[in-house]
Amino acid sequence: MGRSIFRVGLPQSNLERSQAMTSSFLLHIQPAKVHKHSIKAGYSLGLGLISLYLFFILIGTGVLLMFYYVPSTERAYNEMKDLQFVVSAGLLIRNMHRWAAHLMVLFVMLHLCRVFYTGAYKRPREFNWIIGVGLFLLTLGLSFTGYLLPWDQLAFWAITVGTNIAGYAPIIGPKVKYLLLGGNVVGQEALTRFYALHVIVLPTLALMMVAVHLWRVRKDGGLSRPDESGDVIEQIPLGQLPTNKSYGLMELARGTTPQVGKNPEDEVFSWPHLVFREILLFLLVAVVVLFLAIFWNAPLEEYANPIYPPNPAKAPWYFLGLQELVSYSAFWGGVVIPGLLVTALVLLPYLDRKRVGVGRWFARERVMANSIFTICLLAAIVFTIIGTYFRGPSWSWVEPWQQPPAVTEGH
Amino acid sequence: MNNSVRNFYGWFTFLGLVVGGLVILGYYRDEYREWKQYQHRFIQEEIRRAATPQQKVLAETTPVEVRQILLPELNRVDRCTTCHLAVEDPSYGGYPQPLAYHPLHEQHPFEKFGCTICHRGQGRATTTADAHGSVPHWDQPMLPMKYIQASCGQCHEAADNPAAPELARGQQVFETSGCRGCHKLNAVGGNIGPELDKVGTRRSPEWLKQHFLTPSAVTANSAMPPQKFSDADLDAIVLFMLSQTGESAPGYYASMKVIPSAGQGQRLFLQKGCIGCHSIAGQGGKVGPALDDVGLRRAPDWMMQHFRDPQSVTPGTVMPRFGFTETEARALTEFLLHLKERNVAESLPSLMNPVERGHEVYRKYGCAGCHGPDAKGGVPNPNAKTAEQVPGLIYVADGYTKAELNTRIVKGQREIPALDPKRAPPPLYMPAWGAVIKDAELNDLVAYLVSLKPKGEDVGF
Repeated sequence: MGRSIFRVGLPQSNLERSQAMTSSFLLHIQPAKVHKHSIKAGYSLGLGLISLYLFFILIGTGVLLMFYYVPSTERAYNEMKDLQFVVSAGLLIRNMHRWAAHLMVLFVMLHLCRVFYTGAYKRPREFNWIIGVGLFLLTLGLSFTGYLLPWDQLAFWAITVGTNIAGYAPIIGPKVKYLLLGGNVVGQEALTRFYALHVIVLPTLALMMVAVHLWRVRKDGGLSRPDESGDVIEQIPLGQLPTNKSYGLMELARGTTPQVGKNPEDEVFSWPHLVFREILLFLLVAVVVLFLAIFWNAPLEEYANPIYPPNPAKAPWYFLGLQELVSYSAFWGGVVIPGLLVTALVLLPYLDRKRVGVGRWFARERVMANSIFTICLLAAIVFTIIGTYFRGPSWSWVEPWQQPPAVTEGH
Repeated sequence: MNNSVRNFYGWFTFLGLVVGGLVILGYYRDEYREWKQYQHRFIQEEIRRAATPQQKVLAETTPVEVRQILLPELNRVDRCTTCHLAVEDPSYGGYPQPLAYHPLHEQHPFEKFGCTICHRGQGRATTTADAHGSVPHWDQPMLPMKYIQASCGQCHEAADNPAAPELARGQQVFETSGCRGCHKLNAVGGNIGPELDKVGTRRSPEWLKQHFLTPSAVTANSAMPPQKFSDADLDAIVLFMLSQTGESAPGYYASMKVIPSAGQGQRLFLQKGCIGCHSIAGQGGKVGPALDDVGLRRAPDWMMQHFRDPQSVTPGTVMPRFGFTETEARALTEFLLHLKERNVAESLPSLMNPVERGHEVYRKYGCAGCHGPDAKGGVPNPNAKTAEQVPGLIYVADGYTKAELNTRIVKGQREIPALDPKRAPPPLYMPAWGAVIKDAELNDLVAYLVSLKPKGEDVGF
């Protein structure tokens, strides 16, 4: 039975270790042998894989939530209440989904920072960096569209604020906002659209891009390392292919596969060295998500009420830096700066072409690039913290350790 | 290599156990729910009371499950009976909660009304704290029993409701304290303060109480003068405010709006214009018969049938079918039966002279709220040139013609001259009443104001 599924037993020899990897659909995505540098926990920190695991947890819990959820402004909120009060494990699954979602945004960001600080976006991985930026934006999109679905005050006003920020862009801004919401305000149409985006469009796109992202990691030579040449071996013109061999297709492959020009001593078998580490990491992620989900509930505020905005109405936390910028200037903070940042991220591998400091954290040769990135990162963090903790009613400055002023209401 | 692999097995075991432990913990927390303990308590009690073996088996096999009342018309699901299992069983009278019997529910059967429509709270919730609603992010906590009559006012007319005397008193206090001078309720009233149509869903009893005693304590810069109510009046008006939920009961529930009492029948009698054809005490139309002694001439059943379809009891009558609901017909019948005891004649509008009607208008729109119940003024209006008070009206006849008075009421006066221009402008002002007060009412009101001048005093200017 086990053999019919896994085809090989627990591997005992190096041959069987290779077979274990190549004969399993899930494992064959990875090479039979990996470079020692690639499995060092201190290098990659496992951030990409953690993001992937969180994504899987989100798909699993998300499907369970779909069994109950109805994207209707009248019913969605009540379904949340029913999940909490009558559905078996309903609250736990919703909590897991919520926590995994926030963690995924966080870990995708951290993964992006890791790739930058190790210079891993440089040749030949330029394009995979761009796919990664795309996945980062998709993650934000997934989280943002999911934010609306509970249809409570938090959801309603966060999306109202978030889509208003989108509306500040010149010319296309209002159109984009109208397209997203299916109208000028958040209502049933917006909920329908966000739901479709959240459960079909964005996850499918993300899954496909994750596949390409992982495929490119292998095709671009595994994880970046300090000693790799980074040269793409010229493809042999078709005419020069030897005709006396039957495996000519192999030779068509690009040259930067791990097997080409590598010192065998630097490599270890993926089974067990890589796979065991991956399993361990999954267990860790599962522990953290379960722990958070058991002890901290996902928030659910009052039923969405377009007449009574909370003061201040805040966007989701990862957009609060942006909201803080918008509070200074809608055009500069809401359009120019984020637009420039995303453009810079996309173009980065083509602007910073010198192939130095690859595969090492904070390489001296890259002090300039690292400094600029760190300043932008710190600015983003500071603005986010200000937007989260230091902004009170009407976006006025408050200090979180002080007693909030008594909320008085005018007529 | 073997060593490092062995280390992994240790970690797998440890983390696997942690994951397993967390799953079990999550399952336990999910499986253990507060309501189950109440159901077990109820089942134990049922077993204890079982007199026959069959009853005992019945009690023992009672399923432990969430119980709910589905109320699609009211957009509610009430799961209160998951814990309050004996609400319909009188033998549980006097039991401690949650197993107590709910008396007096015959008129409002649970399967038709549920619980939260009257008691508020969170019907979908299944824990005490959440269900009783005193939790963050739920703005409908349970209504204290002291104010429970407020819920009657959501569906029923407040006035002359014999089952809800506190509610009726609250409305009385509201209408006689001049609240409408500043606040609109059901489209009648001024615009200095906020509308009160949904105030009962927005404000808590504590907030309302505070608001009446010292408005500025809960609403910064409130223009509202502090109110001096007796304790009983304060509770009554808070209760009346809580009854203003703006909810319009749908379908079946709306047909029950009118309580079939003589008082409500009298109000209907005036509203529907019966007096146009029928007369009481010589006042009214002569098309239909006089009604003074109708209670002696006709049986209640006859009257009911007459209201449903006049032709069926008086063939050829000119009285049209008004399409009264069953409760309206009963209220009108009740009214006609008790005509003699009610001194109806005094309140019939056509019997009053313009000055009396004007006085009614003065009360109806809450002019008394600022100008005083007898129009002598005296409500403080800080920094107003008129001695920092809202002026009295008893001498208006000296300064204005009727037409000028009329214009002044219609247009109002937004800017009140300040005593000291450097200080904040006076908070109270005269709203424009043109869109609110009807023309006929306006003329009566002016007549009343002109009549206020004390008799025998000379024109003093």
